[in-house]
Amino acid sequence: MRYIVYSLLVIVLVDSSCQKKVLDIKPKDILYNDLAFSTPEKIEAATIAGYDGLQNYQFLAGRALLYVDAMGEDIIDRGQTTGDINHFGQLSNSAFAASVWSAGYDAIGRANRTLSGIMDNSDKLNPTKAKELIAECKFVRAVANFYLVNFYAQPYGFTLDASHPGIPLITVSYTSNDPDANKPRASVGAVYTAIIDDLTAALADLPVSYPNVTDTVYNNKTRGTKAAAASFLSRVYLYKGDYSNAKKYALDVINGMYGTFALNSTVDGAFGPTHYMTKETIWSIPNNSNDNPSTNYSLPQNYNALGRADLAVSPTFLDTVTNRYFGKGDKRRSMIVTGVGTYSTLSFTTKYPDINSRADWAPIIRYPEVLLTYAEAQARTATGIDGDAVAKLNVVRDRAKADTTLSYTVNSFYNNDSLIAAILGERRIELAFEGHRFWDLMRIKATVTNKYDSDGQKKLSDQPFGAQKNIFPIPQLEVDKSKKVLAQNEGY
Amino acid sequence: MRKLLMSLWCSLLLLSGDLIAQTRTLTGKVIDDNGKPLANASVIVKGTRVGTITNTDGSYSLNVPVGAKTLVISSIDMQPEEIQIGGLTVYNLVLRPQEVSMDEVVVVGYNTIARRSLTGSVSKVSGEALSNKPVASFDQALTGKAAGVLVNTSSGLVGDDVIIRVRGGASVSMGGYPLIVLDGVPVTQGNQHEIYGKFNALAELNPSDIENIEVLKDASAAAIYGSRGSAGVLLITTKKGKAGTTSLNYDNYIGFNEPTRQLQVLNAPDYMATINKLKSNAGLPASAFYGDIDNDGKADTINTNWQDELFHKGLVQNHNVAISGGSASSTYFASLNYNENQGYLKPTLQKRGSARLNMTSKVTDWLQFGVNTQYSRTRMNNLGSGVGTAFSGVPSAPLTALPNIPVYSPDGNYYTGLGGNKNLSGYFTPNPVAVTQMNYEDRDAHRFIGSAFGELQLIKGLKLKSQVNVDYSSAYIDAYWNKDIGDGAGPGGVRQTNYNEKNTWSWFNTLNYNRQIGADHELNVLAGTEYTRRTAKFSYNSGYGIFNPDLLIINTANYQDVLAYDGIDGIDDGLASYFGWVNYGFRKKYLATFNFRTDADSRFGKDKRWGYFPSGSVAWRVTEEDFMRPYVFVNDLKLRASYGVTGNSNIGYFPALSTIEPDTYADIPVLSLTNPGNSALGWERHVQFDAGIDALLWKNTSFTLDYYNRKTLDLILRNPVLATLGFPDNTITENVGELQSRGIELSVATPVWHGRNFAWDINFNMAWNKTKVIATNLFGDDLYDNNDPNATYSIARPGQPLGVFYLIRWAGVNPLNGLPTFWDVNGNQKQFDKANAAMPWTLVADGSKTSGITASDRVLTNKSPYPKLYGGISQTFKYLGFDASVDLQYALGFYIYNQTRANLMAFDNSKNKLVDIQHAWTKAGDNTDVPRLYWSDNFWTKNASTRWLEKGDFLRVRNVQIGYTIPRAISERIKVNRLRFYVQGSNLYTFTGYTGIDPEANYVGETNIGLGIDKFRPYFSRTYTMGVNLGL
Repeated sequence: MRYIVYSLLVIVLVDSSCQKKVLDIKPKDILYNDLAFSTPEKIEAATIAGYDGLQNYQFLAGRALLYVDAMGEDIIDRGQTTGDINHFGQLSNSAFAASVWSAGYDAIGRANRTLSGIMDNSDKLNPTKAKELIAECKFVRAVANFYLVNFYAQPYGFTLDASHPGIPLITVSYTSNDPDANKPRASVGAVYTAIIDDLTAALADLPVSYPNVTDTVYNNKTRGTKAAAASFLSRVYLYKGDYSNAKKYALDVINGMYGTFALNSTVDGAFGPTHYMTKETIWSIPNNSNDNPSTNYSLPQNYNALGRADLAVSPTFLDTVTNRYFGKGDKRRSMIVTGVGTYSTLSFTTKYPDINSRADWAPIIRYPEVLLTYAEAQARTATGIDGDAVAKLNVVRDRAKADTTLSYTVNSFYNNDSLIAAILGERRIELAFEGHRFWDLMRIKATVTNKYDSDGQKKLSDQPFGAQKNIFPIPQLEVDKSKKVLAQNEGY
Repeated sequence: MRKLLMSLWCSLLLLSGDLIAQTRTLTGKVIDDNGKPLANASVIVKGTRVGTITNTDGSYSLNVPVGAKTLVISSIDMQPEEIQIGGLTVYNLVLRPQEVSMDEVVVVGYNTIARRSLTGSVSKVSGEALSNKPVASFDQALTGKAAGVLVNTSSGLVGDDVIIRVRGGASVSMGGYPLIVLDGVPVTQGNQHEIYGKFNALAELNPSDIENIEVLKDASAAAIYGSRGSAGVLLITTKKGKAGTTSLNYDNYIGFNEPTRQLQVLNAPDYMATINKLKSNAGLPASAFYGDIDNDGKADTINTNWQDELFHKGLVQNHNVAISGGSASSTYFASLNYNENQGYLKPTLQKRGSARLNMTSKVTDWLQFGVNTQYSRTRMNNLGSGVGTAFSGVPSAPLTALPNIPVYSPDGNYYTGLGGNKNLSGYFTPNPVAVTQMNYEDRDAHRFIGSAFGELQLIKGLKLKSQVNVDYSSAYIDAYWNKDIGDGAGPGGVRQTNYNEKNTWSWFNTLNYNRQIGADHELNVLAGTEYTRRTAKFSYNSGYGIFNPDLLIINTANYQDVLAYDGIDGIDDGLASYFGWVNYGFRKKYLATFNFRTDADSRFGKDKRWGYFPSGSVAWRVTEEDFMRPYVFVNDLKLRASYGVTGNSNIGYFPALSTIEPDTYADIPVLSLTNPGNSALGWERHVQFDAGIDALLWKNTSFTLDYYNRKTLDLILRNPVLATLGFPDNTITENVGELQSRGIELSVATPVWHGRNFAWDINFNMAWNKTKVIATNLFGDDLYDNNDPNATYSIARPGQPLGVFYLIRWAGVNPLNGLPTFWDVNGNQKQFDKANAAMPWTLVADGSKTSGITASDRVLTNKSPYPKLYGGISQTFKYLGFDASVDLQYALGFYIYNQTRANLMAFDNSKNKLVDIQHAWTKAGDNTDVPRLYWSDNFWTKNASTRWLEKGDFLRVRNVQIGYTIPRAISERIKVNRLRFYVQGSNLYTFTGYTGIDPEANYVGETNIGLGIDKFRPYFSRTYTMGVNLGL
């Protein structure tokens, strides 16, 4: 008996199958990175991951737009949902600054990784598709760089030659903790050049439409297209002060070179569920009920009176003295409602109504922006009061103005400056709460006036162009990690 | 096992006994001080090898040489006694229990060894120290019980993290928990993530089942666990039945718990005065007013103390029945336990029911089988609204809620308005009573821990043991946010459920040869294999926007949005291990142990998988030397030293693999990188030297002193890297960095007084530890806690203590103008005036304009959150039938960042404030540390500065117990073996200068760098109980 037991034991013990069983374990819920670029479908999925990077809840899915608005005068950050951003009081350890920075470079990292993956696996794609996907990656990278450089660096016009510090330019795909990634900040000029190069290249190779996908319209409105690249390029040139190029690319879009775009008939026609993919939308960051910035960070929760109602519309925006182009009968006033309960003394926008599913898309480029960019650039490059600029301004304004209000004519303006002021005023109203206002002020070296602090009572002192805290701190953690290769912004 | 060793030893003695021609026979009976017969006590003629052991009735019969003069009688755990042999032939004897026995058997991992042969550093905590303590989990009761074992209970919230650190921090970003092995089963521990709440897995074990816990501290002791040994090993042995005895014990306690010291916030009038003063000083109109709650047109004076509203006296109770017994061939121990721990925080409750069965059976003289099993069910009611800093969390909600609004509206519903307060800013707190009552998070968990073994004696001294182990747990978590108030209001009601399972099985086989060879050589050899497999899975469902709150079931008909997914819960790995152990003793004087283990972990890359962990140790029992003879008071003295390598297997989920995962860009599926991976990643190694002295003096004073120096090499770091690399979470896992922990540990257990009726014993332990960062990564970067990346004030920097605070220096409030002042990096004192927008920063010296204080003005404080000196003092007293014990815990030389206080002193929001804000500067000459009130002046509270760094030194009265045992004469009459009544107070008082929630408050949870951050964890609880111990 004893010996039978012994022999059994010996058999069991020398059997090495147990070792195999505990060691040959492959994770069931993740894929090996080697497979990332193994098929055309996977390569495309990796490319779209770049947009997913932009869709980060701390970035273009909502928060980044909201920060730009919070620094402008048209918002009261009632809930202090932007911390100290709204009163220009961030400290270098600001979590907001850290999150935006990480999200931006995450999107850039995704784009760079896919670019390098496409290069290494070009044999798996047909050449046209490869060029198209490369263009998408460059589009993503350019968009991320644009938002980053505007958050962390003074505007293009801050120095004559835009030689002031911008952000580190990253164009390489890293696979390890490579010291090469510790780059100093490139100048704002160099960053704009890189953005323009990427967008120009993207414009050449991006499709007008994505025909071979499940939902073509959905893809056209949420991925890079020629229209999106040209529109974004016009915005970049506008910020740069290169009005002739801004005009050129805007006009291409307006002329239907990259597809048909037009205003919806009603002022709120591009907002709310089922309205995200109208002809007014050029490019948006989509959200849905499962993939959205959550109850704490989504646009509807932050902006809507029935959500968290963190961001109220300032009296400065509503008052015709402080916002003189916003007529009493302007139809866009119907998109502003008073709050409920405790917030009944405050006003809120209805641009983002989907508080339950939090699925409101973030409108990055709407057609009115392109019209107004064209109008402004045209006016700024014209001598005298330009009829075409007035015409494009009217396209936007006529939809919203009171029916009794007359359309503009060239005679409505004293001079070109008053036309430009009207275009800027229209831009402020039409694109309000979509992440434009503060940067639109800064690019023309204007001052933020009549701005309320989060208590809604105290008026902040005027915030001039070039003030140190108009821009975010480089996250202190990043400065520390870089051993000061990354220079901190003045005042932090 | 003990008995087996004992008999072996005795038979050896007998075998080698001289052949004696002339003998006479002595007989007698050996009993213990309770009058119970002592079986297996050894009776030896002094100076010879003639001896025997007592029978089960305690009797013995021994042939002794005619010239024999003295009998030495000894038994395990008893003080040996000597009797002079006279003319009589019958010698009865009473043996008294011994406090410390060198023949006591110590469990050392897969094996046992006599304490005297031990060459490593092992601390032992008896089960008595753990049972009957009103704690949510047994680990809390370990606090202060063993030298060098730091137990940090994060808060008084039932289920919150309990952090155990053996000999200081052992890692930086990987787990620092010691391995816990229960009867050979490696058990799941740590926070079992609920959806928002926390649950400590160790709460599922019944503390009353524990016989003792051994803590393996040095490399020699822990290396047998190889890759899992670096943070120390806790070996838990559960109670077993004893042959020849039968007993039934019933133990209970019942009592209540309440919060310890609470922070005091402003009452309604003071709140309004403070807020309005903040505003008026900044030129703003008053904004805090009473409101008209009952709509009678007049403001109502209301003063709500939200803390009182939320706290109550929580019921705690415990009932434990244990029976045990056995015959020569089999033993059993069985217990049933019900434990209820209601938190002082209203809805929180933990209920545990558990059953244990331990059995061994000797089938033949060469084959033995046994099982050790526990099943438990633990139900937990937690706060759906969360804890900590969440807007509706506790204690931040009751501390920050407006004091001038009521709990209920006149109609009896919860009040949800904001009273007469206007222009509220940064105020999100929903009615704290409403959210804690209406939201919930419940957990219902089942756990089975069991092992079965067979042991085969091949030849004499050679045993083969095979044991299979299982630790299986499952939990169903059900969380709900109502749609009317709090976090659920936005999404219109949210229900979330999560079902998860964790399973660990392991199988080990050991071959053990234990023999005395001749008179001089003692050999204990062990070789073994072990295979371990861990898996976990979960399934999650949620519904947003509930249509009918009466029916909570998640389906698309009842919710606007339904979401479901499942996955691997971050655990899917295996470990293959081979190990060997040799313990050799020469003349019981010179001892040496050599250990070797090799582990292969499936989570590493194929060629980096195997880790090798050797260790060696030597000891010299000085008392066995002739020159020690004159020093009779030294009963035992052992010098020992060890050196060895262990590893850290808390490495996360396949850290070396570069992986991608499916994700979505809203409706479009994508594939994105989730881990950059690192194919070169290998084992983190801990090299430790230990030197120690064990001594037993005057028969009952034990003394242990250890010095250790541990280096952690190839530290596996979730290395925080530049964001420009574009890696997820800005981290990459790498083998970089080096840590060093050095320390001294001292334990002394001694009777202070042992009189006829009165006895007083002291058990004292003390540990001094210093953990220093030697290197971080290639670039020598600072490292931060991964769990709280914004807490950049606690860092790991080469040359500095682990977790050193790195802060701007506060320079006090300028008594002339009430402005907050700071030192810049060059030592200039600068003041900040929020009111002066044009020139906010000026030099205190001359009022001239200067640059602002920024992050570059941070300095290293040389202050760390790890106590330099910590330990415990336990005292027991006995007087006639009365007994008493007092347990103290202390920790010295550490600092806490009091972020709770910083938050509650903020000038830029409408939340309620600490009463201390009333010490604010008001006029020139005021000396205070609170600047003049000025609305929106946030620099002094938001910028992490030494203003909020406080000394944490404390002495805590951990436990006081007074008991009375009914005299035997009476208890015997009612057929009871033992009947004791007791009252007990836990966590009675803490002596500390610390002003925050508690000097042990830990916001981050399981952390190495970020310990010592006090940020809104619930108050600790104080518990009063009374109970009965009944033995049949």
